[in-house]
Amino acid sequence: MVVEKGKKTINRLKSMYPLRAKVNETYLKSVEAIQAGKPAVWGMLNFYYGDPILKAMDIEVVYPENYGAIAAATGVAQQYLDRADAEGFPTHLCGYSLTTLGYASRMMKELNGQIPPEAPFGGMPKPLFLMSSAAICDARYKWFQALGRYMDAPVWPLEAPIPGIKEFFIEGYYDRMVKLGVKHLRDFVAFVEGMVGKKMDWDKLDKTANLMIEVNRVWHEVNELRKARPCPMHSRDFWSAMPAALFLAGDLEDSLRLYQDMYKEVKDRVNNHAGTILEEKYRLVFAELPPWHSLAFFDKLAERGWNFVIESVGYHPPIPIDLSKVSDPLERITKFSLQFLVGYYEDARKQDVLGGTTAYPYLKYAREWKCDGALLHPLISCRSASTHLPYVSDMLMEKLKVPSLSIEGDIVDLRLFNPEDALAKAEPFEETMEHYRKMRKQAGDDW
Amino acid sequence: MSDKNKGLSKAQEIYLNRSQRARELKAAGKKIIGYPCVYVPLEMLTALDLVPYQTCGDIKEPVTEADRALPHSFCPIMRNCLDCALKGKNDFLDGMATIHSSDPQEKTARVWESYTNYPYFHFIDMPITVRPEALEYFKSQLNDFRKTLEAFTEKKLSTDKLEAAIKSHNQQRALVRELYELTKPSPPLISGTEIVQVVKALTSLPVVEGNDLLTETISEVKNRTDGPEKKSARLLIWSSTLDDTDIMQVFEAKANVVMNESCGGIRAYRGGVKFTADPLEGLADYYLNEITCARTFRQATLGETRKDYARDLQSRFGYLKGIIKEWKINGAVMLLVRYCDPFAFEMPSLKDYFNSLGVPSTYIEYDYTTGALAPLRTRVEAFLETIS
Repeated sequence: MVVEKGKKTINRLKSMYPLRAKVNETYLKSVEAIQAGKPAVWGMLNFYYGDPILKAMDIEVVYPENYGAIAAATGVAQQYLDRADAEGFPTHLCGYSLTTLGYASRMMKELNGQIPPEAPFGGMPKPLFLMSSAAICDARYKWFQALGRYMDAPVWPLEAPIPGIKEFFIEGYYDRMVKLGVKHLRDFVAFVEGMVGKKMDWDKLDKTANLMIEVNRVWHEVNELRKARPCPMHSRDFWSAMPAALFLAGDLEDSLRLYQDMYKEVKDRVNNHAGTILEEKYRLVFAELPPWHSLAFFDKLAERGWNFVIESVGYHPPIPIDLSKVSDPLERITKFSLQFLVGYYEDARKQDVLGGTTAYPYLKYAREWKCDGALLHPLISCRSASTHLPYVSDMLMEKLKVPSLSIEGDIVDLRLFNPEDALAKAEPFEETMEHYRKMRKQAGDDW
Repeated sequence: MSDKNKGLSKAQEIYLNRSQRARELKAAGKKIIGYPCVYVPLEMLTALDLVPYQTCGDIKEPVTEADRALPHSFCPIMRNCLDCALKGKNDFLDGMATIHSSDPQEKTARVWESYTNYPYFHFIDMPITVRPEALEYFKSQLNDFRKTLEAFTEKKLSTDKLEAAIKSHNQQRALVRELYELTKPSPPLISGTEIVQVVKALTSLPVVEGNDLLTETISEVKNRTDGPEKKSARLLIWSSTLDDTDIMQVFEAKANVVMNESCGGIRAYRGGVKFTADPLEGLADYYLNEITCARTFRQATLGETRKDYARDLQSRFGYLKGIIKEWKINGAVMLLVRYCDPFAFEMPSLKDYFNSLGVPSTYIEYDYTTGALAPLRTRVEAFLETIS
């Protein structure tokens, strides 16, 4: 199947839409839960560590990081940012965090705990407790601590070890990470039980953990299919479909079925040599957080033949590992979560790329998904998603002769991303990609 | 007149030429290990006869080389530190010991390791909580650090030597505390600027030489007649790092800075390592639990299921109450190095805490460059006017 002229430049997957709807469903369910007297929790993206525990306890979770993006995309973030500024939070802090702090201030100081009427998607209800995480950046636990100024919800900060790549191979290192994780999660379960006043259903947790792992395995396989030429699935479909696997949004059995449907649709496209854009001239990797507020930008690039075939390592599922023989669900969850952090370490060490959890995967992506270039999106208020980008750019060029185009923006401040300016850079970058394509071919590479 | 080879003058000389002693020691056959953060357990280096040397930034040095490795909107101190390294200013180092004390420290360590080629490089992971399992994990991290140091030096790290090193470093901490006792009188006997010089000198010397310097300095200061003048305010500065005299002098033009609660001041010296059967246990406890940096997540009660804001503030900032009383602080400056998230998130809550104690405070931000000095001066003067 070839995309017909006159149709949309990016041929979106039909199977993506029900997965995208799960985000809305999550917010509505959390509000309904509060109305029905059930607990709701604010959680930080924690890479599969605490989520299955809350899921097994029937606790509805909303993610302020995700909500920050929604508030930005729907145009209500600015008032919360202004409010956080007035409260004394430095303006260069993470835009998502400032949005949440401003939101919490408005909800608790002005509305006595009621959801602000202007809040999109039904808003985030007052939480019973907060689940923060040390993974990836400092903001993600300090931000929830700072919320203590507005609400009396206790915080559980989830530990997330991040080893050095060399150090990870010291004898016994992995086992010690697992030991920390299992003990920590066991205490977390006790904390949650205390908060909600009921005991953990361990059979249900076992089943939830298995479903989480299977959902992410299928999701991983979907993305493996994108190595095909032309690429059958665009990054926009990836970002729309990912919350059900990354945040465990919605019912997991339903999510598994939907990802399986997506696999079939993408596989069909591969079998039929059908691409997601009209004519794939350039294959690109995108790093890191996309400009949520300006996603139509990718349609313009698609018109030029730019296909985004892989993206955002922080949102990708871990490389699958067999955990079927691990009987303790907490150990299984820990190992699965650790796989997200260290799954690329062995390869990174062999390639002598020591730049951390988030840098090496882009080399693998560029090599295996045969990318002609990388579009990097450094963000003024999200340092954790930006810090490694100069290094990634350097390594892509040094090791693979793949060039990068860096376009600055922000996660919530729309003014910092200029799509016209970015598009003006497209043509010269195409010449650069052509140049390095020749160089790679001369060096014997196959793309 | 003070002796130029002793005490305050010597500290000033070392401050102005920090690497000189390390280079001499290197020429004499010693191995020098750099470290960018006070969370690296220096006792373990000392015990193996390695010389610890803190790799600091330099506000007078424009960042150029680090631009290719780190973005602009990133901790300016770490950008500056890496820049100095990439320009070869630390070319005498035999290795680096880095630690996950904050996100910028972790991210910079990876880049640093990739862009340099020291014979030794180690990264210590560090938990964010003080929970028992976190402490155990951190202790195991220190054990890994021990293993790589032993492999590098081809020596065993014996308990006796480690305990002796702990004793020396504890002595240094006690001497720094004694030095800070000398800021209690009004006017203080030693200025905040002079203390910055002394503390920075300590981070450039083997511990024994540092202790000698401190002993000389304390004796000199106790007997001096040319101490600082009494100014209109007695300030506490709370910051991630204040390690530069140009910055400190902006404050001291019109105030006495009697407490520098930062990594360029008392923070790394306020407590002491406990002697435990396994010395790594005492070290892990001290470095994870005792150093009062905003990077550690503290709660009134571990795993608490109820939150009380006043108790929460006490658990995070309670150590400042005694300082404010004993040093008769009448103004507090929350000095933020731009893009330092762990400290930035604390600002409104810390202001709440200072308000609860009746201490006037202000929040000032700067970017660790000389260009920041003029606006800093304006902000400081405005604050001093409001509290005078």
